[in-house]
Amino acid sequence: MFSSFDSIKPALKKLVSALSEEYPYASLLAVEDDWRRWGVTQGGVVLNASGFGGGTGFVVRVFDSTGCAEYSFNQFSEEQIPEIRALLARRLAEQNQALGGFQPLPTPIPADDPAQLKKGARFQVDPRAMGDEAILSKLKAIREKALKTDERILDASLGMAYRCCRKLFLSKNRDLDQTLMWTTCGLSMLAARGQELKNSYKGFSNLGGVEVLDQVESAVEQVSRETIEMLDSEPIPPGEYDCVCDPDTTGMIVHEAFGHGVEMDMFVKDRALGKNYINEYVASKLVTMHDGSTVDEAATMYFDDEGTLTGDTMVIDKGVLKTGMCDALSAARLGVKPTGNGRRESYERKAYTRMTNTYFEAGSHTPQEMIASIDYGFLLERPSSGMEDPKNWGIQCMVSVAREIKDGKLTGKIFSPIVLTGYVPDLLKSVTMMGSDLELAGGGFCGKGYKEWVKVSDGGPYMKARIRLG
Amino acid sequence: MIERIKQALKDCGVSLWILEDFTEETAELFFVKKQLDTRRFKDVRKFKITVFRDVEGQEDKPARGSTQITLLESMSDGQLRQELESAYYAAQFAANPYFDLPDPVEAPIMEKTGELAEALLAESAGKAARAIFTPDVHEDAFVNSAEIFVSRSRRHILSSQGTDAAYTDARLNGEFVVQCREPEDVEIHNIYSYDALNTDALSKKVEEALTFVRDRARAQRILKSGQYDVVLSGESVRTVLSYYEDRAAAHMIYPGYSTWKLGEHVQGEEISGAKLDIDLCATQPYSEEGIPMEDLPLVRGGELKSIYGANRFCRYLGVNPTGVYRKLRCLNTGVPFEELKAGPCLWAVTFSDFQMDSMSGHFGGEIRLAYLIENGKVTPVTGGSINGSLFECQGEMAFSSDRYESAGYSGPYGLRLKNINVAGAGGEYN
Repeated sequence: MFSSFDSIKPALKKLVSALSEEYPYASLLAVEDDWRRWGVTQGGVVLNASGFGGGTGFVVRVFDSTGCAEYSFNQFSEEQIPEIRALLARRLAEQNQALGGFQPLPTPIPADDPAQLKKGARFQVDPRAMGDEAILSKLKAIREKALKTDERILDASLGMAYRCCRKLFLSKNRDLDQTLMWTTCGLSMLAARGQELKNSYKGFSNLGGVEVLDQVESAVEQVSRETIEMLDSEPIPPGEYDCVCDPDTTGMIVHEAFGHGVEMDMFVKDRALGKNYINEYVASKLVTMHDGSTVDEAATMYFDDEGTLTGDTMVIDKGVLKTGMCDALSAARLGVKPTGNGRRESYERKAYTRMTNTYFEAGSHTPQEMIASIDYGFLLERPSSGMEDPKNWGIQCMVSVAREIKDGKLTGKIFSPIVLTGYVPDLLKSVTMMGSDLELAGGGFCGKGYKEWVKVSDGGPYMKARIRLG
Repeated sequence: MIERIKQALKDCGVSLWILEDFTEETAELFFVKKQLDTRRFKDVRKFKITVFRDVEGQEDKPARGSTQITLLESMSDGQLRQELESAYYAAQFAANPYFDLPDPVEAPIMEKTGELAEALLAESAGKAARAIFTPDVHEDAFVNSAEIFVSRSRRHILSSQGTDAAYTDARLNGEFVVQCREPEDVEIHNIYSYDALNTDALSKKVEEALTFVRDRARAQRILKSGQYDVVLSGESVRTVLSYYEDRAAAHMIYPGYSTWKLGEHVQGEEISGAKLDIDLCATQPYSEEGIPMEDLPLVRGGELKSIYGANRFCRYLGVNPTGVYRKLRCLNTGVPFEELKAGPCLWAVTFSDFQMDSMSGHFGGEIRLAYLIENGKVTPVTGGSINGSLFECQGEMAFSSDRYESAGYSGPYGLRLKNINVAGAGGEYN
């Protein structure tokens, strides 16, 4: 697997050298992709191996007198180097001419400090070794078990996917090579209330292989129970309530409500309020937030898509905003060091500042202690979607379940769906308890606006805060 | 390359397949304010192939499995054979009840014409940039940043059944953010998508967005919780109507997620408002499976007229496979928009993310800018959220006579819905 890059790597280096003769900076990212998705639902069986995002291909970055430019392609051989060089020069000339009076955004050429690395992540069970027959049999068996849990279950859908990806980053001073694999699995169950379909979902993820599948089977009863509970749910009376967030909901708040607001390409554009709050309190002293690759989850990597080595970024330290996350171009423009957060949806797309594994540190309380501390409020579970508002720190997050708490106890009453709104610092400053166990989940993807999907994980502990619900 | 793939398929004993040869080139521009951030170009060619394998299914019934893979020109003949062999082997484990492949279509290539399809990509991208920044002449409200994607593509679809059809396409899409700093520093995010170099429409969209962001800057967080008549506009109308598109899809009906049948009254039996007239519009001559696509009447007078979708699910339901659509046309009309939003209502202009959940029937989102209209007074408001159920309001819909056009929607600009739950920034609305 992935041996073809070994044979063309010398030619790829020659391409970088050839471009370096013409431009003051040239680099190349090569992506070799192996992706497979299996699905079993009432609609049938699906097996798709057509490629994740753009699949296998290349992107070169150069700087000319106007600034940064990139060229993405998926055909390469040593013989094509003069052709690629000429094509890039021609298209840059055409574009520069067509743009006429537009001035470039001043951008220092990013640092190209020497670095060499070759590294791969370990996993227990290789999905390729397990094979399609065994994986689909396992998924079908879990689905059958799920369908038998309650006659009101309309369907149980199971999906599993892995992506094994090798990336090479080559520049004049860097030669980086990493191979990583993530695997995700999700179980969704449906029940009908007339025309209204209610569902519950549980996702699992890892930086690894099929071993993630073991967790799904144990969740069948829970997902079924939650699906049936949803049939009796009703809309919530809008208002501000004391809430306990489960780790997934905490993760959504970390990621959507705050994380996007400290992506530093937004600082360059003057689109993020966070820029004005560095070294100021933006949250309760119980809140410490990290982003990075020092934890093993689906978004862990050793270098980013611009060849910056990754690590850990402490974004909030005991309530004080310390820094944002930054890609290489934005770092050059802002005069700071990049944090290894320059990520692309695929070789076909631009690199932006993107989160990786983002989470709040654990505290010292149990979920039971948090629930017991509330006279009237809700336990929020199962986030379904969220949208960033870095400019104004407005919250829009949706969760599927709000469980009513009265006099320190869950009443069994469920409200759904729930929209969380409000002002992010108000919510984070209202945090009064943090759970003792940290959980990360990387089942989903993150978009920048409405596109540029990349694999991320987020999470935290159970968290008590005051939140506006509607 | 196609001949190499055909030979490899033959060598591997694959007799049933659909192949899509997809070529795309783009020019992309990224701006921060009026300054050029990055230029990008792309040239890719991919061969997406689905191989099918017939096997014995449950209770000895025939079954057909399939696997999708992507092949690249740089692959050797040996690699092609290896990939196809592996896919063909895997297909037997992904078996579904038997279905016929799409009927064969043979047709000459359909070439898209017009400036976007014929001019240099770089020139079209430059014109789009000028279209965005030409209206950007105000001191208070301005374009914060913009992204421009101009693409030209060619799809050639072939199949073992004899399909050989091709077409070219060209698109202009992207996004821009408008900002206003006073009295409150705010922004509004906008998406655009055109199938022609429609620079006038793009400039008009920017102009309108600048007006909205100016209003958002002075909008107040005074919206009270309660039930409102809500007016939606533009893409939000399309988002709500997507419920009817989703529920009529064969892939929703076959597994029982949607119980709709032809002739069903999709808005229920008690309709005092507009009875829906909806079409699905073909934006490409062939689907990915090579099915010829035509405009399709979906709902007439509130009654379901068509079930649509990809080949397999349509075959199972015994309806004609139509392909999957990307554009919806609503034929309903009504009063001018100014009249539609007369009387007490909340005109929700922009959301952080407005969503329609076709499963639950719920729609909603956080309000970035809305106009509270009551007692002849129009007040810009921000904050709060809408959380509505289409099942409860679809019998009393009212549309505007003003029209809206985009790559994914053609229809009334405005839609008024009654008694929608709104979570405000404080207090109760009576």
